[in-house]
Amino acid sequence: MGWKLTLLGVVAGILFLFALGLNNDPRHIPSPLVDRPAPDFAGPALDGGDPLTLSALRGRWVLVNFWGSWCVSCVAEHPYLLELDRQTRSRNDFVILGVDFKDTVDGGRAFLARHGTPSYRHVVDPEQKIAIDWGVFGAPESFLVDPEGRIRLKHVGPLYRGWFERVALPLMTSGGGKPS
Amino acid sequence: MNTLHWSAALLLFWLPMAAFGADQTEDADEARVREIALGLRCAVCQNQPVYESNSELARDMVKVIREQVKQGRESDAIRRYFFDRYGDYIYLEPVRSGRNWILWGAPFLGLLAGVGGLLLALGRWRRGAPPGDSLPAAAPGEEETLRARIRRELDRVEL
Repeated sequence: MGWKLTLLGVVAGILFLFALGLNNDPRHIPSPLVDRPAPDFAGPALDGGDPLTLSALRGRWVLVNFWGSWCVSCVAEHPYLLELDRQTRSRNDFVILGVDFKDTVDGGRAFLARHGTPSYRHVVDPEQKIAIDWGVFGAPESFLVDPEGRIRLKHVGPLYRGWFERVALPLMTSGGGKPS
Repeated sequence: MNTLHWSAALLLFWLPMAAFGADQTEDADEARVREIALGLRCAVCQNQPVYESNSELARDMVKVIREQVKQGRESDAIRRYFFDRYGDYIYLEPVRSGRNWILWGAPFLGLLAGVGGLLLALGRWRRGAPPGDSLPAAAPGEEETLRARIRRELDRVEL
């Protein structure tokens, strides 16, 4: 009878692991870039102005937001970004930088014209070279970069109301610098 | 032999030659691009190599690989580039280190356990069933009655 119990145990174990696996979200893959220096990038601006460079923003917290006019969730996220922009515009320790990837300049501009143009600027990345350099899977994805230029967290999916107060601010106020 | 035969024969020999020739002249760089891209998992489609995927992200990844190959970067360095950005997920074949050893070792351990169990069972069968499992010995005379009954039952079966 012993082997029957063993077999039952093994099958139950496999089913248990299987059930655990079913709850995994295949889209949620932890980024190895967290707590590593952010890959620098420079590129043309969506507004046609001076080219933008990430490292030029060193010394401030930077929210790097990857989006595209083709991305449906970005429409849902946009009102919060506009709100966050209004709310943090006067801060001198925090800035938002958009990366409009796999998109045309016209497409990106039309998106902003339709859904609202924030005060922060966007880099255009038509061949998603920046996106691949940042290990981006889709849009929207956001990274919070600290004043030393280190990625402190990655958020997959739309940012939500209250994200800044609940997630970003605690990181920014806890010493500001890197954890180690 | 008319011309049709000749052209058919020519085609028959020439086509495979042409295909072979094309293979032979594949750019060494492109071969490296293919080799690397076949080992990387497309990030937006489940379990398809970057090289075989039609998704935009995968195609742009192949472009990035091609660019880096042109720059003369080592294959391992290019693989590492993607690994550093996308993590374990990006390799179709998991790296052999750390926790992944469970992944690589478990099937062989399972196989060993199976072989062990089989040997154990075979040994037991060869030694004859353990006393607890055997049927109680038939009482004298009972066996004859049983045989008679079996014969009777079988006779009733229509084939």
